[in-house]
Amino acid sequence: MAARGHVQDPNDRRLRPIYDYLDNGNNKMAIQQADKLLKKHKDLHCAKVLKAIGLQRTGKQDEAYALAQEVAALEPTDDNSLQALTILYREMHRPELVTKLYEAAVKKVPNSEEYHSHLFMAYARVGEYKKMQQAGMALYKIVPKNPYYFWSVMSLIMQSISAQDENLSKTMFLPLAERMVEKMVKEDKIEAEAEVELYYMILERLEKYKEALDVVRGKLGEKLTSELQSRENKCMAMYKKLCRWPECNALSRRLLLKNSDDWQFYITYFDSVFQLIDESWTPPPEEEHSLEGEVHYSIEQAVKFIEERITEESKSSRPLRGPYLAKLELIRRLRYRGCNDEYKLGDPEELMFQYFKKFGDKPCCFTDLKVFVDLLPSSQYTKFISQLLEVIPLSATAENEIALPADIKALQQHLCVVQLSRLLGIYHAMDKKQKLTVVRELMLRYRHGLEFGKSCLKTELQFSDYYCLLAVHLLLDLWLEGEDTAVWQCLTLLEEGLSHSPSNAQFKLLLIRIYCRLGAFEPVAELYSSLDAKHIQHDTIGYLLTRYAESLGHYAAASQSCNFALRFFHSNQKDTSEYIIQAYKYGAFEKIPEFIAFRNRLNSSLHFAQVRTERMLLDLLLEANISTSLEESIKSMSLSPEEDDIPWKDLRDNRDLTVLFNWDPKDRDISEEHRKLSLEEETMWLRIRSLTLRLVSGLPTLSHTIQPKNSEKTAENGVSSKIDTIRSLLQQLEAAVDSGKKFLEQKIQYPVLGPPPTRMAGFFSNGSCQCQTSLFYLVSDIYELDTNGLDSAEIQERIGNSFKSLVERLTDLFNKCKGDLIEVRDGTLKTHPNLLENLVFFVETISIALWVSSYCDSVLRPFKSNLQKKKKKKKESSVAMPPVFTHFLDYVTELQTLTSNVIDHIKGLEIILTALKLEELSLKDTLLLQEEKKFTKTVQGKVQSSYHHSVQEIGELLKKRLDTIKKLKI
Amino acid sequence: MTTLRAFTCDDLFRFNNINLDPLTETYGIPFYLQYLAHWPEYFIVAEAPGGELMGYKFRRLGLAAKLMELLEEISEKKGGFFVDLFVRVSNQVAVNMYKQLGYSVYRTVLEYYSASNGEPDEDAYDMRKALSRDTEKKSIIPLPHPVRPEDIE
Repeated sequence: MAARGHVQDPNDRRLRPIYDYLDNGNNKMAIQQADKLLKKHKDLHCAKVLKAIGLQRTGKQDEAYALAQEVAALEPTDDNSLQALTILYREMHRPELVTKLYEAAVKKVPNSEEYHSHLFMAYARVGEYKKMQQAGMALYKIVPKNPYYFWSVMSLIMQSISAQDENLSKTMFLPLAERMVEKMVKEDKIEAEAEVELYYMILERLEKYKEALDVVRGKLGEKLTSELQSRENKCMAMYKKLCRWPECNALSRRLLLKNSDDWQFYITYFDSVFQLIDESWTPPPEEEHSLEGEVHYSIEQAVKFIEERITEESKSSRPLRGPYLAKLELIRRLRYRGCNDEYKLGDPEELMFQYFKKFGDKPCCFTDLKVFVDLLPSSQYTKFISQLLEVIPLSATAENEIALPADIKALQQHLCVVQLSRLLGIYHAMDKKQKLTVVRELMLRYRHGLEFGKSCLKTELQFSDYYCLLAVHLLLDLWLEGEDTAVWQCLTLLEEGLSHSPSNAQFKLLLIRIYCRLGAFEPVAELYSSLDAKHIQHDTIGYLLTRYAESLGHYAAASQSCNFALRFFHSNQKDTSEYIIQAYKYGAFEKIPEFIAFRNRLNSSLHFAQVRTERMLLDLLLEANISTSLEESIKSMSLSPEEDDIPWKDLRDNRDLTVLFNWDPKDRDISEEHRKLSLEEETMWLRIRSLTLRLVSGLPTLSHTIQPKNSEKTAENGVSSKIDTIRSLLQQLEAAVDSGKKFLEQKIQYPVLGPPPTRMAGFFSNGSCQCQTSLFYLVSDIYELDTNGLDSAEIQERIGNSFKSLVERLTDLFNKCKGDLIEVRDGTLKTHPNLLENLVFFVETISIALWVSSYCDSVLRPFKSNLQKKKKKKKESSVAMPPVFTHFLDYVTELQTLTSNVIDHIKGLEIILTALKLEELSLKDTLLLQEEKKFTKTVQGKVQSSYHHSVQEIGELLKKRLDTIKKLKI
Repeated sequence: MTTLRAFTCDDLFRFNNINLDPLTETYGIPFYLQYLAHWPEYFIVAEAPGGELMGYKFRRLGLAAKLMELLEEISEKKGGFFVDLFVRVSNQVAVNMYKQLGYSVYRTVLEYYSASNGEPDEDAYDMRKALSRDTEKKSIIPLPHPVRPEDIE
């Protein structure tokens, strides 16, 4: 655990058993051993710290902290104590305490390189850049090693990055950093590559591109050797910044001569050629064209250069795609400028055909050509596709049979054409019958292609998998056009595909999306877990789970998926600071701002904020007033209505929305606009959810207090400010709901495999939104009653009316939950997953109603006991009961009846779902082959079982809620 | 046709099409940051003309050979003795490819890859190729016994 350098030190020998216990996770023994040792050696401080570590690890944080502070107050300077305290503070997530520790240590031992270095790293961990700069210099003064000096320089750059004031950063921090490096350059003290990198970084940030270029091209630049083409890449970046197109051109030309398959340099080459043409650039007479040599500055030269690359390619041992694609890129650019034909580059259709002939058997051929299909006129699409088909060696065994590929190469070529057909919209234009014929054909090809993959391991994909995927995409189109059976066929084919190719992530992802749309979460959990998504993938594809688990009533799965994601996000902070420190140690300076930006990107992740919020709402839903009181639940989550920890302005959408393959034409594909709108929608929904959470968390703060109830003003900073908070949150909620409604008025349809829509539309349309806002208004009214007493009949009446209308609204919400989840109509199985979502919203809304009721109960109870006391005193037989009591009692009774009714309804659903014998159904599935029927049964069984699961979990929760109502009878 | 460039943290958000392949492991953040902090020059990503990071769909293009060549080139410059790599024992395609590129199995590392879904953890081959500095190719003499992950330095 700790470095134990001096073996001779008797203290080390004494401490060793404690270290061993801690290392082995035997914390109790470590504590005992430490106690034993401390009895004999009172001043063996390290034993105390080790004991504190044991305490910390056994959950006794307070004791651990107290003990640690006892030692820290002595300002220890022995290695053992310092290192043990560092470990302890890190485990306590208090890295700032480590800085205090070493600040004290260096004061006592001012010449210790080790302690100063620890101090620097401690500052780095908490991002104290200014202090890092000083600590670095202090180190350099003790031991004049270059790295220390440059740590200090880097700290200046970090100050400039973190400075709010850009001016300050450009006029103070960076120039200072520059001067510090210049000083070393002048004294000829630059040693390492990292130091040159840092110099370059400073100049680049100062926008001194010319100077940066000189450094890279000069003597210092010779040190830039680790990275491949490090100097060239940096020069290129600077040429671009300086708009030195001759150099850009000459350098990219030279790099392409070396490797004619590197796409980035073609782009720069073309960019620069056209820039030079636009500037009418001509080479200087009798001089080198540029710093980097010969320059191409005319279309003729560019055309010739590309043609030469193609000629060269034909001599290469391995076929290179680069030169051919570059030619297409050149045509695209020429067309854009309105001049193509004169340069005789050829017809793009023909060139793409030739490309297909050369590379059609490579799986990437489709992705390559996809970039250039906009060069084809739409009138030529069908012709182009048939032209490609003609050259594929396919053979039919009999007449009228589909011609099939004889080997994998032919299969790949054919697959490429099918993918292109979809991309060009050829399938989209077909009618239903034609589409179904294509589906048949593709599935036949899929099954035939399995022959080629008989020896594939189960970790490998089948060669023909894409046929199956594409068939499913066609069926999805049909489903969206209203063909109800198509969705079952989708699932059937995918399950069949997965049985042959159990590792195909695309099958799984598509199954996940479709099952979710059908409201069946149960199969999704298993599919997702078999994807083995972890760590960063919780952020990028976790939305596939979290969007649906809770909303479909799979509460346990929802909790679990939130937890996985949260664990990842929480470890991020600790993880990244460790590597920021390593980057200093290894001189990977340019990585430091990158790591910090990465940490921020994760911390401000939309998904992080969502799972944080939903996790807490879920905990309350499942536990508050069931296993613990609402107040305790909120306390244990450290929730407070005033606090908002969501970085609204900086929310980052880290979702990978293109994780599912898609061959749709551009106008149907997921666009930037969809992403933008989806983020907007998610943010609005998050705001509503977060405000709901904060409003609920405010309920216990209002609870009855002993304070005088004369006016709201008297309780300054007390309860009255709490109600102000609630009222302001309620206003914000109204505003958020309004903008949500406005957003939905746009009726945005995301592509079916694009971002899933939020639950917001359902929340508004089923009426739970109105119920929930009314409930929070009721809170405000009850508070008024609490402060003003029972004298005002008006308030009581208002509350009574609220109760009545709430019962009506909740009943309406219940009505939206009625109906069958699955029904057989016209020989087709129809599902109504929105009923599940509505039920889930009902449970949530009734839970809020009950939390508000217990607040109401807490307000009314003291009134009632007061009245009863009066009654006894006066011995009057009839002290009139204020109406609000009756209203409340009626309301609670109604809630109870309603909840019981919903529970009965759910029981009914369960009975129907159990009784439904799907295997006995004969559905009109003309499309299905016998072997497919097996999979259809499986699929329908999965959906049925999942609904059953949902209904059970929802029913159980609702029963628990019903029990809590019984406590509300005042 | 590829753009080869340095891997950056932002690529972690985009590599699903590579990492959802069953044989590709997604590691914790520290794994990637450690490489980026210590050996950024080795950490390279291949990007297709359409901007996609190149995974499964881009097989059979000689991309792996190209990347391995770069790795060896950098290691030669650094004056290393050998290049080594870990690969799942079951990943026959990759093992054969590495053999073709001149790598040989140096040792087996038991249960190196953690499995999910209750399946047993998988062994790794530690495969090596000697660089020019190791003239006698001492670094690649196979070990007679497999080792445990905790015993590899």
